[in-house]
Amino acid sequence: MKRYLVKRIGYSLISLFLLSVIIFFFVRVTGDPAVLLVEPGASQADLDAVRQQLGLDKSMGVQYVTFVTDLLRGDFGNSFYYRMPVLELYLSRLPNSLLLAACAMLFSLFIGIPSGILAAVRLGGWWDRVGKIFALLGQSLPSFWVGLMLILFFSVHLGWLPSSGSGTVWHVLMPAFALGWLFAAAHMRLTRSSMLEVLGSEYVKLARLKGLPEAMVIAKHAFKNALIPVLTLAGINLVIMVNTTVVVETVFAWPGVGRLLYEGISFRDFPVVQVTVVLCGAMIVTVNLIVDVLYAVIDPRIRYE
Amino acid sequence: MNGSRASALTLAWRLASFGPRGYPVVPIAIIVITTLLAVFADFIAPHNPEIGVLGERFKPPAWQAGGTETYLLGTDHLGRDVLSRLIFGARVSMIVGFFAVIVAGVIGTALGIVSGYFGGWVDQVIMRITDTWLAFPALIFAIFLAAIVGPSLTNLVVILGAVFWTRYARVIRGEVLSLKERDFVRLAIVANCSNWTIMRRHILPNVINSAVVLASLQLGIVIIAEATLSFLGVGVPPPMPAWGLMLADGKKGMMAGYWWLTVLPGTCIMLMVLAANLLGDWLRVKLDPQLRQL
Amino acid sequence: MRRINGPLALFLGVALVILVATNVQAAPEGQLVWGVHFSLAPTWFDPAETPAMITPFLTLYALHDALAKPMPGNPMAPGLAESWTVSRDGLVYEFVIRKNVMFHNGAVVTAEDVKFSFERYRGTSAGLLKNRVAAVEVVDAQRVRFRLKEPWPDFLTFYATPATGAAWIVPKKYVEKVGDEGFKKAPVGAGPYKFVSFTPGVELVVEAFEQYWRKTPAVKRLVFKVIPDESTRLAALKRGEVDIVYSIRGALAEELRRTPGLTLKPTVVQGTFWLSLVDQWDPKSPWHDRRVRLAANHAIDRKAINQAETLGFSKLTGSIIPSSFEFYWPAPVPAYDPGKARKLLAEAGHPQGFDAGEFFCDNSYANLGEAVVNYFKAVGIKAQLRPLERAAFFAQHREKKLRNVVQASSAAFGSASTRIESFVAGGGAFAYGSYPDIDGLFQEQAKETDRKKREAYLVKLQQLIHEKAMFAPIWELGFINGAGPRVQESGLGLIAGHAYSAPYEDLALKAR
Repeated sequence: MKRYLVKRIGYSLISLFLLSVIIFFFVRVTGDPAVLLVEPGASQADLDAVRQQLGLDKSMGVQYVTFVTDLLRGDFGNSFYYRMPVLELYLSRLPNSLLLAACAMLFSLFIGIPSGILAAVRLGGWWDRVGKIFALLGQSLPSFWVGLMLILFFSVHLGWLPSSGSGTVWHVLMPAFALGWLFAAAHMRLTRSSMLEVLGSEYVKLARLKGLPEAMVIAKHAFKNALIPVLTLAGINLVIMVNTTVVVETVFAWPGVGRLLYEGISFRDFPVVQVTVVLCGAMIVTVNLIVDVLYAVIDPRIRYE
Repeated sequence: MNGSRASALTLAWRLASFGPRGYPVVPIAIIVITTLLAVFADFIAPHNPEIGVLGERFKPPAWQAGGTETYLLGTDHLGRDVLSRLIFGARVSMIVGFFAVIVAGVIGTALGIVSGYFGGWVDQVIMRITDTWLAFPALIFAIFLAAIVGPSLTNLVVILGAVFWTRYARVIRGEVLSLKERDFVRLAIVANCSNWTIMRRHILPNVINSAVVLASLQLGIVIIAEATLSFLGVGVPPPMPAWGLMLADGKKGMMAGYWWLTVLPGTCIMLMVLAANLLGDWLRVKLDPQLRQL
Repeated sequence: MRRINGPLALFLGVALVILVATNVQAAPEGQLVWGVHFSLAPTWFDPAETPAMITPFLTLYALHDALAKPMPGNPMAPGLAESWTVSRDGLVYEFVIRKNVMFHNGAVVTAEDVKFSFERYRGTSAGLLKNRVAAVEVVDAQRVRFRLKEPWPDFLTFYATPATGAAWIVPKKYVEKVGDEGFKKAPVGAGPYKFVSFTPGVELVVEAFEQYWRKTPAVKRLVFKVIPDESTRLAALKRGEVDIVYSIRGALAEELRRTPGLTLKPTVVQGTFWLSLVDQWDPKSPWHDRRVRLAANHAIDRKAINQAETLGFSKLTGSIIPSSFEFYWPAPVPAYDPGKARKLLAEAGHPQGFDAGEFFCDNSYANLGEAVVNYFKAVGIKAQLRPLERAAFFAQHREKKLRNVVQASSAAFGSASTRIESFVAGGGAFAYGSYPDIDGLFQEQAKETDRKKREAYLVKLQQLIHEKAMFAPIWELGFINGAGPRVQESGLGLIAGHAYSAPYEDLALKAR
């Protein structure tokens, strides 16, 4: 077990290292931030001054060495656009992203799990269909469109909810719904198939044989076991939500990590992109690691793989 | 709930999803019709989808006050015919959707087979790359690629393919690992067949079902991704008609009451994605009951 | 003394009324909220770092004040300097600083602060300014002298306009105490509003500085919220969450105009848009033929595009130089004439039109490109739109990697001469080629010290550009903003050429 763990962690670190190298060079070949920090048509002297200020006049190799040595000293660098420490920016956005992702996940599970269970229990029934269609719809509509429709209806038309921004419970409702709906279908599918599997298993059959009422069998024996893979997927999706919600965050002016990253890319704010991508990567890799290790603990066969 | 109404709905549903003999009639019909529209767009569309008359912009559909029969489903912000754009949009969206899924499927399946079959350091390298890829937010990657290669239909297909292959690689690798333990593969190895032959003759046919199921489920995701990239300004280059682009362009008209600019392409996308998903679900049950974590 | 006589009573009464009235006016009240379309950056709180962009002036006008700056009706209005004089030899500029003007921390603005702010300035054109200024001398607390190395008639154009941020004054003692980083976190200036809080990417809050020298601001608090999506901004305005929104285009602008209670507030900024026909120096390219370039000019219905995209608020132009620039020559706007365009193409040997290849644009203005390509196709210029992501577009444009047609724009400050330098003359940052006659004239004018003669050169240059049909100019962008029902004075459009609300002390809410 210990060896497996060490190996797994080693691989994760390799992945992260690869990620940092790729992102470093990738972001540099796609555009020049200096050009965006001055008005188009500004003089060459202004441009050179900006380049020098940002350390972009040095060769890429030198820049990479500086980046890595700074990183090892715990210095994540300053944003080109905001001219403030990237880590500070990232940490100020992270709580918002976590909040949004958590609420979205609640919505998503709230839609996905019941419809998945109903679908498995009442296979082919009416509620199965409605739940399934509703869950699938979320996946069939681009989230920017869902978001704008929500704003139009609940903010402009009814006037119930604030259109954008953050700060109160009311602000989080619409973006969380728009984001959560997108993931509902995945959770429904998994709940359904995992329920079906559990319902066909020996111990559920045994419970039925014992004469327990069906509702009891489903609620107590089947549901509890079927939930494990669903929650695992939810954990991974939660991290994905934190990191990739650019669109929903843009529509609702939600100050999260996704938008920080997107703005970083738009302005070729190299330090922001590098640090955000590496930290996002670290989160994803960590969650994957935990999931793998948990599975290894549960199912010893995986260890020898 | 009223019993007869419920049963009527059930009947309607049955027809809609799994018609007589259990075939998903409506999803197949949607896909077939869309394909026909895509192929024969030049003959069906009443107008040129890319050229509009600025003076005729934002005309509502024919049945609404102010609409004309020249433009059955109204016009967009440049005065282009929405109906023609929807018809031609079927072509672009189908091309992007299908080819991107195929590109992703080919890359992912190939890597998955190689990784699973050879094992050892090959497996390690491929899986580490896959992990890294997964840690890279997909959209971000797409924006980067779009910035490097510039927007065009081919590039978009390549970009989406390059973003979505990881899933195939992981699933297929898992399947190959278990296939390797099966007798017919072991026999082939003992019989000294070349690696290439084994992978092609014995492994590929056994994993292709999973790849097809994955592909059908991913079709919807890819079409939505196309729309999202258009929203961020790096999708299908305008004025080319694509559903996702129409939706992204039309969003500005939503608040102004130009509903046809978003509702119509939105409905097309929704139907297409629903159809692809239902078809995928059906295929999954039909072809590959074990495949569940999708 | 028992009785107060009539005139005195009247006098006292009037005085009391005035006192009460001014008092009522003096206390700032209420709050104004903006929906801003981009993220504000802390660098814009420090005038010393002013980049070559117009955006920093959104915050500078609130937090800081300059010796001189554009104000309503005066592009170079006295600010912290109540007056200035130029020595006869053109070498010494002496500014007299307004008395008893305070920074937000209570310190008085002195000549020392002016000297300090200039020496500390490192933003756009800092090198140029410092090369030409030999010394800044503090005469006394109220007077400061700029001594130039040689006569430079453009000194004030660079120093006392938004071309640089060098004339914006920061408190010397405070900056020395807190340092540059500390200053960005808690900026102190002499502007009408003082800094309260800032959350990057979310909002900036400022509060009225009641001792502001020009007048006490009428509105107590200003909040600048970042709302990146255009539709969401309009939704927020409609719902009354914000009072003023920036940058609303096309259908949304029409909706804004239609909505009762909301007011459309267009401002014309000095950002010109034009098509660069970058292949015109390649003899094999169709664009080599002047008739083809003219045809492109006549193919575009600028008026209709203006109506559709900016509700007619952009200013159509026949020049790549903004009309507000010094030495601007008003080139005629090419008429929309598709017949003539087709005829010109036929004469040039393209009776069936020709394949014009790719049409590059920055994806935030793809709508404009789309409309132009639409008109091009109508006369037979078959171009394929290639909207590039903003960063990639500008980088490739500067590296001269783009081909065929490029939809270019510039909102950089300067004069006719600086624009020609960047976009027309040989060796310019965006010049893909050049013409010898233009280059020759450009060299001449650069050496010319006599203003009149220089103007003649520059006018001749602009006429040549027009005659050669080097570009297809489109418009000076009309920037459409909106104001909600609570707003009495939005400050939009008060200062010519300024895109945002200003001066902030003049803003007012409607009386309830």
